[in-house]
Amino acid sequence: MNWDEEYDLIAAKGAAANHFIGRARNALPDDDDFEISPLPGPGPSAQPAAVPLGLLLPTEDETPLQQLIRHWTNERNCPDILPAQEELLVTILDHIRRQSQTVQLLREDASTSEDEHVRIMLAQTEMERVKFIVRSYIRTRHYKIDRYARFITTNAELQRRLTGGEREHASRYANILDRHLFKCVLQSLPPAQAHLDDTAAFVPSMITQPDKTRPVFVHALQDCPRVRLPDGTALEMRKGHISLVPYHVIENLVARGEVELV
Amino acid sequence: MSETRQYGELATQLVLESRRSTQTDILLKYNDALVRSIIREQRDLEKAAEPLALLDGPPAPALIVIETAINRNKRCLLAYHTHRTDRLRDMYWAVGGALPHILSNQELRGRLSPHEVDFLREYHASIMDFRSDFSDELDIMASITQPPKDLHALVQVVRDCGWIQTELGNINFRKGERFMVRRADIEHLIVQGYLEEV
Repeated sequence: MNWDEEYDLIAAKGAAANHFIGRARNALPDDDDFEISPLPGPGPSAQPAAVPLGLLLPTEDETPLQQLIRHWTNERNCPDILPAQEELLVTILDHIRRQSQTVQLLREDASTSEDEHVRIMLAQTEMERVKFIVRSYIRTRHYKIDRYARFITTNAELQRRLTGGEREHASRYANILDRHLFKCVLQSLPPAQAHLDDTAAFVPSMITQPDKTRPVFVHALQDCPRVRLPDGTALEMRKGHISLVPYHVIENLVARGEVELV
Repeated sequence: MSETRQYGELATQLVLESRRSTQTDILLKYNDALVRSIIREQRDLEKAAEPLALLDGPPAPALIVIETAINRNKRCLLAYHTHRTDRLRDMYWAVGGALPHILSNQELRGRLSPHEVDFLREYHASIMDFRSDFSDELDIMASITQPPKDLHALVQVVRDCGWIQTELGNINFRKGERFMVRRADIEHLIVQGYLEEV
């Protein structure tokens, strides 16, 4: 199935909504006005290579862009760092690159009509908007990585959730911060005090950790197994249910994609 | 300053500065004098603790008081510096990673300690490495406050910024002029305050 067919599918379902999320969710296939006019010369193929969607879609009928938006809102609302969606980003960025090449070719083609230029402009705008989400997603992760850099360097599980580039930056940044603190404070203190890993009693740890007790709004995408709340009572969420709970309670549900954070 | 100061009084002042900085949303001048006096206090405390630590038997109450003061002072010092680096990072991102833009601002530069300038430089280098992982398609430094609604933007030039390469060819942006240009081409200039959207 290619993007165009996928778009037809969605259009047929009448999924287009007026608000931003709804529009953006249906946007990516929209960009694919590949049949505007035949491509001049041996340019890159106008038809995107058929993407094996089965690989990308954990739940059926969710487009890559819908997935991206879900991961983006999850990441923005989550106090912890979620697993990186490298494959999804690569798919989307590749798609955008192919499209901008196509757009470039069409724009330079003198035979492109006025009407088609309008459509090209729409496609470009939509591309900018998708890029905005990708950018926001990356920056959100980046913000958290800076914040918890020193914790990340000590936590193997968290490191597995990062991309190679993110991991490198985390260790670089942890180093930069350590050195900065050393130069400003620690080197002037008596040697006995010049450590960054004190574990004094009754004092919070020196390493900033994600606060998993922070409450989050959670929206059940399907019927979820029972979870235990901190006061001992159980919460069973049916599909569509929204609650406000501490993050650690539903951490596993988020990881399995049964709920989304809103 | 009176000599009957309590342990940790200076550190409280320092943390108070961080707090003020958060509340007023301003990066205050680096308080070198205060940091130095706290470090001096730390050394004095350490000296006072040494003979007490050599005593036999359970730790003397005086030692516990001093140790607590030492720990607290240290945490306050670190918190002050970390708070500042957090602000520096926010500042860095707010101008889209234009480091020269921050460092050429004399007023701002005056508030930074030399170590903080180094910190910014190193951070910038690390970000540039990270950024190069992404293709040219996506500039991760661009603004993320407003989703783009249009491809083009009508902008007014607030400060001269010379020749800029745009979709329409090279344009010389001079103060007071207005242009209709592709947003992606000049987004960073808006962020840095050279252009204003009309």
